[in-house]
Amino acid sequence: MLTLLEEAVLLAVDERSGQLRSAREFGTAYALVGALFFDLALARKIDTGTEDVQVLDATPTGNPALDRLLAEMAGRPEIPTVRDWIEAMFQRRDDLEGYALASLAERGILRHEKSKRFWIVNVERFPLVDSGPQQQLKARLAEAIRTDGIPETRDIMLVSLAAPCGLLECVLSEAELAARRERIRLLCNLETISRQVTDAIAGLDASFRHGGATAAQSLR
Amino acid sequence: MIQLTQEVRAGWCLVAVRGRADSAAADELESALRSAVEQHPKVAADFSALDYISSAGLRAVLQAARAAQERQAEFAVCRLSAPARKVFDMSGMHHILRIEAELPC
Repeated sequence: MLTLLEEAVLLAVDERSGQLRSAREFGTAYALVGALFFDLALARKIDTGTEDVQVLDATPTGNPALDRLLAEMAGRPEIPTVRDWIEAMFQRRDDLEGYALASLAERGILRHEKSKRFWIVNVERFPLVDSGPQQQLKARLAEAIRTDGIPETRDIMLVSLAAPCGLLECVLSEAELAARRERIRLLCNLETISRQVTDAIAGLDASFRHGGATAAQSLR
Repeated sequence: MIQLTQEVRAGWCLVAVRGRADSAAADELESALRSAVEQHPKVAADFSALDYISSAGLRAVLQAARAAQERQAEFAVCRLSAPARKVFDMSGMHHILRIEAELPC
């Protein structure tokens, strides 16, 4: 089974061009950090309250990206909240996307192609070798959004990570997403980790807007 | 630590949950609620003596409610304690689960 981090990155691969959709780069970075926390929660290594996070079991999972975060969390109990950990991991800018892409290539789901445009610009693409996992993933998410039933835990988590960084646009049309906006909001609100990821992205957007307004004022 | 007791009254299976519904107790909670749903067409979880519920506990309740939905069984969470209400309100669980102030019988 893929980790949520791998599923989130797989969702971002354009099935036609093999390029990564990272419409909101910082938002995606926050979502990938959130995916790591969800993977640790699913592995029963951490649990969360409304804001706080506790390490339950610091023994390694065997997944290097998860184990690095787990060891760090176990060693730094002075950081008590999910939000603080999300910010700490975001500041570190680990190449979570690169790690997940390498893992997906190793599993034979995609391949890594490097080329040069105009003999100078490096271009990386990740064409799907096996389109099945991505299609199944999209079908699961579409079902979770279109229906009013209670989705599986993993699907709730993935919808709540994909929504704030625009990745649901590769699952359903703009019109369908608009029609199911309330349903998506409901699913995004269920989990502490995704609420904190969404808040972090909203905080970042607000600081960009504030920065933009300040820059515009200084030009007047 | 969690304590679970079950009784059948007026066609409802009432599952009383006492203590902490955290990661250590989530499997036990989910399994008790699922088992009730498999055996009874109407299940009410009584959360009046719940001291704490974590994300793992919430997921357990949600997945038991999902199992009830699949079996077309009635499932309600009743008499939320103050700490449980705070968590349920924050996560908007009332939009997806049937939550009642009193037991159905």
